[in-house]
Amino acid sequence: MAQTDTNIVIDHGGSSWSDLWTKEDYLAIWLGFFIIAVSLIAYFGFGPREEFAKKIEAASQVQAGEVAKSPFKTIAWYKADDDVQKLKGSSSAFGKFASHWTKHPGSWKDNPLDALVKSDAQAKALNAKAMPAYEEAKAKAAAALVMAQKAEEAAGAAAFKDQALNDEATAKIADWRAVEKKVASAKKKTSEKAYNLIPSLIGLCAFFIVIFGIGITLMKKSFTEFARGFVIVFLVAVLAYMLGGQAISKQYGFGAEAWGILLGMIIANSIGTPRWVLPACQVEFFIKTGLVLLGAEVLFGKIMAIGIPGIFVAWVVTPIVLICTFIFGQKIIKMPSKTLNIVISADMSVCGTSAAIATAAACRAKKEELTLSIGLSLVFTAIMMIAMPAFIKAVGMPEILGGAWMGGTIDSTGAVAAAGAFLGDKAMYVAATIKMIQNVMIGVTAFCVALYWCTRVERQAGRTVGTGEIWHRFPKFVLGFLVASILFSLIDSNLSVGMADAMLDQGVVRGGTRLLRDWFFSLSFAAIGLSTNFRELAKYFKGGKPLILYVCGQSLNLVLTLTMAYIMFYLVFPEITAKI
Amino acid sequence: MKKEASMLQKCTKFAASLSACLVFVYVFLPLMTESVDVLNRMSQYLDVNGIDPTRYYYTDVEQVKEAENYLQTVLDER
Repeated sequence: MAQTDTNIVIDHGGSSWSDLWTKEDYLAIWLGFFIIAVSLIAYFGFGPREEFAKKIEAASQVQAGEVAKSPFKTIAWYKADDDVQKLKGSSSAFGKFASHWTKHPGSWKDNPLDALVKSDAQAKALNAKAMPAYEEAKAKAAAALVMAQKAEEAAGAAAFKDQALNDEATAKIADWRAVEKKVASAKKKTSEKAYNLIPSLIGLCAFFIVIFGIGITLMKKSFTEFARGFVIVFLVAVLAYMLGGQAISKQYGFGAEAWGILLGMIIANSIGTPRWVLPACQVEFFIKTGLVLLGAEVLFGKIMAIGIPGIFVAWVVTPIVLICTFIFGQKIIKMPSKTLNIVISADMSVCGTSAAIATAAACRAKKEELTLSIGLSLVFTAIMMIAMPAFIKAVGMPEILGGAWMGGTIDSTGAVAAAGAFLGDKAMYVAATIKMIQNVMIGVTAFCVALYWCTRVERQAGRTVGTGEIWHRFPKFVLGFLVASILFSLIDSNLSVGMADAMLDQGVVRGGTRLLRDWFFSLSFAAIGLSTNFRELAKYFKGGKPLILYVCGQSLNLVLTLTMAYIMFYLVFPEITAKI
Repeated sequence: MKKEASMLQKCTKFAASLSACLVFVYVFLPLMTESVDVLNRMSQYLDVNGIDPTRYYYTDVEQVKEAENYLQTVLDER
């Protein structure tokens, strides 16, 4: 049975009070909430909240004055907006501390060691190399600003009553904003700093051993055995970050997650994962804790980011595709595993890797099923990321329609942004926003899948399932995930937009919970690889059914998303499209 | 009964598998990128704009924030 236990993403048995401190699901919730609580206290209790509030208020006053003065957003309005955007909770002392100690190996081009160590001389050389482009962009931005100022003055001289002058000013201001965006990108390349990640990685490994080790001890497993094996799991995750950080590898979507599984599987299926490493391959514990933290990033307020068209493209089409693909898998293809079917369906229709992880954990999918789903997603994401913008350009599809189509169909958010950007700025904005709205769906998906599995799939024939039994079977970490999501959505909606961005998004999440969530998923991928057998994996691919399911589901997704995007953005809400 | 592979065989298998993956990603893909114009342009574009296609969740991708701000600004009724 021990073998079976390591293969299934869930714990077993009935409920008792001691479950609260001995079961993996609850321990993942406590650990996740401990990290969430520390981040919330650090940022909201000791962070620069007062200072930010004053700056946001000052900017709001400027913006209100500009709104009263002119019918378009003026240069002063945008400058005030920029001042608010610069406010980041993560620039506080805690933010810097958290970022320093959780940093993972970064990007590199020619030398993999650049991912771990960068000398002062190297950083200066990179900055010097990037400086001419930055200076050029700055000069262009200054020139664009002068033009925008002249146009705005002309419009102002006519008391903002001349529509032609107002339009001219709006266009010049938009040009200046576009150039400013390039300045920001160029500036980042001139801000390279020297680093040596080795000491912080050693510290982080020790920290993980302690926090997960406490859970392992409470689960009545050996702390020593876990700690010894964990060093190898951590090393594989670090190597995966290094290999996935290479520029070309990243371009095709082979990041740390893919490399973690691949590297682990190569070790497991060639030299063999040493027996003493296996107690540290706590895939479920890492995933569940990571998912509780991911709950903090599932903000329901985001779903209105592009209005009703976004809801229809992301929240109406997606569940239809998910359910149809699942039914198609069961009835037509006759998938041998329901869990594999739902994980592939969710992965393909919702948002790739993150949806696959959440769904796999919610329905007790096996590690091999998760690996297979993510593998399929990575391959198709790489293809679609390149093929879709090329196709859209070739047929002359409007940028916004193309963006919405890609946002609703390409699995991973990064690939959506890349494909969108390749098509144009507006396509990228629409694509990334549609994907963000779809990302928020993983909470609902995980909950519904968990509930469906408890009440329908795992029900014995002819037996009704009572509330008590549903509770026994329900994967409790999903509740932790939902509670975190609801808590953060409430905090987000109770703060002003500026404050929510600065303190919650750029503080608690990006400067706290997300840093560890990223590591937890990477550790789980390394652990999955280290404990996966190629032969077991091959069994799930028999007859190519997973591939057929993915291709058929994605085809339906492509047709429905394009149709819905066209209806919403061009027939029902053309005024929204016109504004974009 | 199947004879278990020796350590040398296992290490050879490990080196061969790892090399195949590394060659595919770090030799084949860059060569393909350089030789296909559209891939080359995409590579440069991603590098200049700092877009990372491997990131799977919206909070990992800076461009999502940028998109959100843009849409907030243009869709804002005034």
